[in-house]
Amino acid sequence: MRQISILIVFFGVMMSFFQANSLVAQTKVEDLKKEQDTLKEKVTTIRDVISGVEERLATAEADLTKLTRIKVSGYVQAQWLHNEAASSYPGNLFQVRRARVKFTYEPVNGVVFVVQPDFLPGSITLKDAYAQANDPWLKTFSLWVGQFNRPNYEVEYSSSSREVPERSRVIRALYPGERAIGAKMEIAPPKLPLKIQLALFNGNDGLTITDASGNSINPTNNDFDNAKDFMGRVTYAFKLGNIGGLTIGAHGYYGKIKANAYDAINSDYTYNKKIDNIGETLKRNWLGFEGQLHLDVLGGLALKGEYIFGVNSTPGYYATSTVVSPMTSALKNDTLTLTTLTTKTTTARPAITRNFSGYYIYLIKNIGKRHQIAVRFDQYNPNTKLAADQIGTAKWDESSSQTENKYTYAGSDPVVATNAQTKTVVNNLLKSGTADITYSTWTFGYTYFFDDYIKFMIAYEIPVNRKSGTRDANGDGNITSTYKVNDVTGIYDYSNWIKQNVLTVRMQVKF
Amino acid sequence: MKRINKVWTIAALALIVMIGAAFMPAPKKITVKGSDTMVILAQKWAELYMKAHPEAVIQVTGGGSGTGIAALINGSTDICNSSRPMKRSEMDKLKDRYASLGVEIPCAKDGITIFLHESNPVKELSIKQLSGIYSGKITNWKEVGGPDMTIKLYGRENSSGTYVFFKDNVVKGDYAASCQTLPGTAAVVNAVSKDKSGIGYGGAAYASGVKHCAVKKDEKSPAYVATPETVKANQYPLTRYLYMYLKNRPTGDIKAYIDWILSPEGQKIVSSVGYFPVR
Repeated sequence: MRQISILIVFFGVMMSFFQANSLVAQTKVEDLKKEQDTLKEKVTTIRDVISGVEERLATAEADLTKLTRIKVSGYVQAQWLHNEAASSYPGNLFQVRRARVKFTYEPVNGVVFVVQPDFLPGSITLKDAYAQANDPWLKTFSLWVGQFNRPNYEVEYSSSSREVPERSRVIRALYPGERAIGAKMEIAPPKLPLKIQLALFNGNDGLTITDASGNSINPTNNDFDNAKDFMGRVTYAFKLGNIGGLTIGAHGYYGKIKANAYDAINSDYTYNKKIDNIGETLKRNWLGFEGQLHLDVLGGLALKGEYIFGVNSTPGYYATSTVVSPMTSALKNDTLTLTTLTTKTTTARPAITRNFSGYYIYLIKNIGKRHQIAVRFDQYNPNTKLAADQIGTAKWDESSSQTENKYTYAGSDPVVATNAQTKTVVNNLLKSGTADITYSTWTFGYTYFFDDYIKFMIAYEIPVNRKSGTRDANGDGNITSTYKVNDVTGIYDYSNWIKQNVLTVRMQVKF
Repeated sequence: MKRINKVWTIAALALIVMIGAAFMPAPKKITVKGSDTMVILAQKWAELYMKAHPEAVIQVTGGGSGTGIAALINGSTDICNSSRPMKRSEMDKLKDRYASLGVEIPCAKDGITIFLHESNPVKELSIKQLSGIYSGKITNWKEVGGPDMTIKLYGRENSSGTYVFFKDNVVKGDYAASCQTLPGTAAVVNAVSKDKSGIGYGGAAYASGVKHCAVKKDEKSPAYVATPETVKANQYPLTRYLYMYLKNRPTGDIKAYIDWILSPEGQKIVSSVGYFPVR
């Protein structure tokens, strides 16, 4: 009996224990379920957060993709210049030569917009501003519209890469400012080392053209005539095995420019023709041949050159007559009284078409990764029809057939005539001058590439003017020009060599 | 006095030793940078060359062909690996900087392989179909004979030579915006191996764990998978050369290394990593 009681008590205790355990287990399951729900909620929340982040990331990625289509590059060239020309004052100075930032935006593949301003102290100039569309099918054609480099080797060769500080004189004379406004088609088949460039430009870009009063009639890159100029360039590259390569090419310019004068003279300063309408155009035609040889001789070695010849016209200006002080009236209702009629007549200058030639040769040697030496010889003969001893001699003598010309081309003061006196001056005094002098220039350059972005250059330029003839009994035959420095007047006599050497020490940072 | 002389003698000797040490030829490190496609191959070359020439130090990094060419131009690498030929504009930059056209050395051949998930029943695709897929005009596998499943595109970054080659020779236009760009062919293979609806492209050497899709030039042409035979015979339509570029003709240590790469020993490694020898 006692044993049965013990068993009953034992089972009772066990039952209570299991019941309690079952209750605990039930509670745990419920807790777990709650935890599971909480976790589910948390996972859902995290999933939502991730979805949000993903969405934001996708938007950010899309924005970033747009941003990667914008590229910014540029360079700054700061230099110290020592100019040995007597007319140069200050003779040595620090300069910011170029500070260019190029923005390139490619909204879709093959379409590029480029804007490149040049930030110089005191001025901001727009260098490039063009849209370029590349053909997506043959990958051969590209159309450029806007303002960009004219198709010429030295023009298109970036100033940031050039081995000497400035371009050669002939290129600076023919393509001032390098850029022009117009349209260009480039043809460059991907499988052929051939490149053809055909361009149509306003044609007067960068040229300084003035009226009789000296005011510019060709403000920056605005056209001043209806004639458009055509340019073409073709290059072909040959591989010379593993030793290097040779690129040869030619470029031509076919253009016209408004005469802006009633007379035109020839390159040798003989009279050419009478112009009835100053809107008549004169020729600007030339042809150039180029070659660039790159050899691997203990490091890079390059020999580059170009020869250009043709005719180039410079507009003149015509005389204008204005009544300076015609009348006075002091009293109300008074009759006007003509006192003195004074006519002010400005001078005129005929347009001239010159035959010219010019060339440049570069020899460049790279030594190791960091050093480069370069020598350039360039020559520009702006008037091949005049021998040195003919420069400065008056040639144009059309007094007999130019009776209507009642003004003078000589001197700087305008001729003043009254109504009672009409001055007649024979116009035989136009002489060739400094614009006709040939220059040969040696330039020596050394560049040290400090790293990927910084380089230092030291260069010395020696321009040598062709000596003009010596003065004859009539006062003709030599060329002089005057300059004033610190209120002291000096004279350049071009029958001698005029020292105009320039030393440049430059630092360039590119990014 | 004697003591001072002794000190001076020791100092002079130390100086001579230091100067001598400074002028002693240090082991020349050769840096190789560029194509991600070629990283495995380039590393293998470097590893075996250094084993055979303990004095040589060769450092190999990827980054993409474009990155490698930029590094060659700015002088931060000796050798550039590129899975595409240098562009004219890049050649011009090299000319401007070094007055040299550079040296191009084709060192291996590759067949750009199309990767599919192993469960994907599609066996072959034409270039036109691939173009449609990667330009976003074909978006479902059923349009090219597969299951009803949206196509997931995987590709390379635009600094990659493989990206450029595929774009120029297959896509022939812009990639679809939905194409997920990944850093390296290995990443593309990895993504496709985990994604039933995925498609990717890349160098043949990386293609493990995924299915190789046969490619045909056009609808009428036979389809080929990239194999040594089809690549060598130019039957496989997506065949290309892999290049090494240098600023100048190689000399010294670099020449020795390149000569070894082009030797039968070096070209054997090309085959061992899944590419195709040029010699």
